Amino acid sequence: MTQTINIDIRGQLCPSCLLLTLKALNQNGAAIRAGSTEIIVVTDDRQATATIPATADRMGFRAEVVRLEDGCYRIRIFGGA
Amino acid sequence: MLEQPYLLIVCSSLAIGLAAGFVMHRADFCVTACFRDIFLFRDFFLMRQMLLLVVVSMVLFEAGRLSGAISLYPFPLLGPPSLGNLIGGFVFGIGMVLAGGCVCGSLFKLGAGSAASLLAVIGMLAGSALYAEIHPQWSAFAKSVQLTQRAITLPEWFGLAPTTLLLPLATAGGFWLYREFRGGRMERPAFARGHLAPWRAALILALLGFASYVLVGMPMGITTTYAKLGASIEILFAPEHVSSLTYFSLQPLNYMPPFAAQSIRGGPGPQLDAIAAIQYPLLLGIVGGALVSALHVGEWRLQWRLPRRQFISALAGGLLLGLAARLAPSCNVWHLWGGVPILALQSLLFLAGLLPGTWIGARLLTRFVVR
Repeated sequence: MTQTINIDIRGQLCPSCLLLTLKALNQNGAAIRAGSTEIIVVTDDRQATATIPATADRMGFRAEVVRLEDGCYRIRIFGGA
Repeated sequence: MLEQPYLLIVCSSLAIGLAAGFVMHRADFCVTACFRDIFLFRDFFLMRQMLLLVVVSMVLFEAGRLSGAISLYPFPLLGPPSLGNLIGGFVFGIGMVLAGGCVCGSLFKLGAGSAASLLAVIGMLAGSALYAEIHPQWSAFAKSVQLTQRAITLPEWFGLAPTTLLLPLATAGGFWLYREFRGGRMERPAFARGHLAPWRAALILALLGFASYVLVGMPMGITTTYAKLGASIEILFAPEHVSSLTYFSLQPLNYMPPFAAQSIRGGPGPQLDAIAAIQYPLLLGIVGGALVSALHVGEWRLQWRLPRRQFISALAGGLLLGLAARLAPSCNVWHLWGGVPILALQSLLFLAGLLPGTWIGARLLTRFVVR
């Protein structure tokens, strides 16, 4: 079963989104790559919807962005095949 | 107040502000991030957009000067260079990273409902008012470390025609940007609703800066208004103290606006004058433009869930920004989008200070604020 790490960064100062996501990625990199863990980020920072996927991509992870009904964004970062 | 030549100034500034606020929100065009992300993430994506804005402005301003569309050159409020500009830029760099946005950036984020930016703006008002207390000492110091008295721009210093320096610079910049575009480095995937590619925003902002220069007589600038607004609040509590401060009685702006028959004056004091006519509408426009943009994509919301460390950082960063904007004087938008394109010496020094300041700010941020 996949373990999920939730990071809620709504309302925080720039660039908390990317910094906190990077921290979680670095701490759990191996597990995410193996496919046993994924990270779900919820943010209201429009900038982060571009920077987080770009950074995840550079680090070899995959990311998908979904816009929530309240106007926030949910970014799922995962690995595996 | 609303008589010639103020009508054109007020209307142009408001329209330019609204458009700029809208565009900055859609593209997340954050000057702070341009500099900060170089140091924090080795990410030069936004800096490339900033260089595009500078190069296009350089071409527009010089074409405007040569064609006569721009009559005031260099534009008002620029002075001879001093090491004070460098120090101002340095403090500004620290402040903008801690505040999470610069003077304009915080305005568009505030328009979109960011409470952190509201704190930063409050800090800026306080910092600008605080400057008035040390103005006599600071201006004496800045004068004592003045580099030259006879030049405002680099071409003037070298005794050259502006085109001689600007043409090779703009050409080199143009070739470099062309290669970046061809290599796909000017765009990246974006998922935000109604997203505007930053390079498009850079072009629009350069055009808005040019429109401001042609219609108002100078590029976009708003920081004196922070001092003015700060003074207007302070005067409610300490009217005698405010009127005793030399800084608030200064009238550094005294110029003949384009299309006007008489010259107008203004300064940082609480009165409604030329500064108020130029900058209040611009300030309100940026907040309003971002508000409209955020409402339009259904993303306006007030968020008060700021961790304590970030609360302090936003306020302290704002205070440093407000103070630095007076030390420098003026902000990154004025210097980068206005002064650097005409190679104003003050702006080049400000930029030279801004870089190490941003680096220190980024270190402080990751060490103490976001952990």
